[in-house]
Amino acid sequence: MQIDWLTVVAQIVNFLVLVWLLQRFLYRPIIRAMARREERIATRLAEAQAAREAAEADADRVREQQEALEARREEMLGEARREVAALRARLEADIEAEIEAKRRTWNAHLQDEREAFTARLRQRAGHQVIDIVGRVLRDYAGSDLGGQLAATFADRLAALDAGERDKLKRAAERAEGPARLDSGIALKPGTRSRITRAIHECVGREIEVAYHEDDALILGIRLTIGEQTVEWSAARFLHRLETTLDEVIEGGGRHRPSPAPATG
Amino acid sequence: MEISPDAWVLYEWMGLRLNATILFTWVVMALLVLGSWAITARLSEAEAVSRWQALLEVIVTAIRDQIAEVGGGEAGRYLPFIGTLFLFIATANILALVPGFQPPTGSLSTTAALAICVLIAVPLFSIGERGIGGYLRAYLRPTPLMLPFNIVGEISRTIALAVRLYGNVMSGTVIVGILISVAPFFFPVLMQLLGLLTGLIQAYIFAILAMVYIGSASRNRSAPDGAAAPQETAGTGN
Repeated sequence: MQIDWLTVVAQIVNFLVLVWLLQRFLYRPIIRAMARREERIATRLAEAQAAREAAEADADRVREQQEALEARREEMLGEARREVAALRARLEADIEAEIEAKRRTWNAHLQDEREAFTARLRQRAGHQVIDIVGRVLRDYAGSDLGGQLAATFADRLAALDAGERDKLKRAAERAEGPARLDSGIALKPGTRSRITRAIHECVGREIEVAYHEDDALILGIRLTIGEQTVEWSAARFLHRLETTLDEVIEGGGRHRPSPAPATG
Repeated sequence: MEISPDAWVLYEWMGLRLNATILFTWVVMALLVLGSWAITARLSEAEAVSRWQALLEVIVTAIRDQIAEVGGGEAGRYLPFIGTLFLFIATANILALVPGFQPPTGSLSTTAALAICVLIAVPLFSIGERGIGGYLRAYLRPTPLMLPFNIVGEISRTIALAVRLYGNVMSGTVIVGILISVAPFFFPVLMQLLGLLTGLIQAYIFAILAMVYIGSASRNRSAPDGAAAPQETAGTGN
């Protein structure tokens, strides 16, 4: 066992040199490399985490936008549906109103045409009846229709009760102008004088009579003294005929009120 | 028969002798430095590393973990010193397998030099850690009466470290030499294997004990009394 102190010193120096060299070539590079690698890994992990968070945030934002779009779309669809419903209701109402107006117009036209037709029919039928009656009267009774009419009117005037005659007399006293006599047909002078005589006998001698023709009476006579009127005419028969025609035309539906025959 | 490679003088110039101890120390140094340089010159900082780099990283990490486990605290400060102790002794002992190689650790001069390095390093690290006042106060603990014993303990610890390593390495070499002369074929191989194991264990023990000494001296601040005592007894095992 011997110690060579020179060798000891040399070995100490050798060892310190080796420490320095290994620190230079081994420990420092290795530790630095490991530290950098750990740092890199940590950095990449952090980046990955950040990227992931960013991606999640993006996904959240996109989802929110999508939901907002969906909500907006639903809202717009609902609005459009409401508008369509309102438009449809308005159009339907317009169409119904238009149809109703057309129906009313059509009904009015129909009514007018029916009334015109009825009036024509009444006139023609009345004249036809008068012609027939006149011809029959002339052929078989040797008299004209005006004479018969005057005789009938005179009879009816004579058949008036006392109260109605008084009314006519008082009306004649109050009246300023002449009495008015309307007839559906032209009366001959003889017939007129018969009627005037009958009026003088029943109402008063001083009454003047003015003769007029009124086609609306068709066949008949109307005496107007002041506010009092005495009438006998074929109008009531024609009104009845008109009522019957209305019933036929409407198929038993609506009835037009037929004008009642005046007193007489 | 030569017991120490110190006696094997290869070259002498003006009283300075180049013996086998120094020469083989240089061989070990060259091997370590060139190997490290060759690997660390192409270090990769990416995830993929070469297997040699991985080997170095495993070795360095293991040494660092051991230092942290024994000494605690900051392993980076002690790594060059402790790591070099381990690598140098381990490499020298493994190379003992190579025919004609005389391990420098088989020389008492080398082990004494390493032990003196530890002897100097312990107060240096301790002073660096606690300041010179804190280091000197540790000699007066637990009482100033213990001062001479602490000084004797410090010196004897260094001598024990040196002699333990020298004895183990040298004995292995000597036993192999004796057995070769007695039973030339079989036993030497077994003894070589045993020597390999012993050499690595010795490298580990030397480095760990050095760390224990340094660590106990540096850690007294946080554990003023008795913290070093159980660790010092660990040194008597071999």
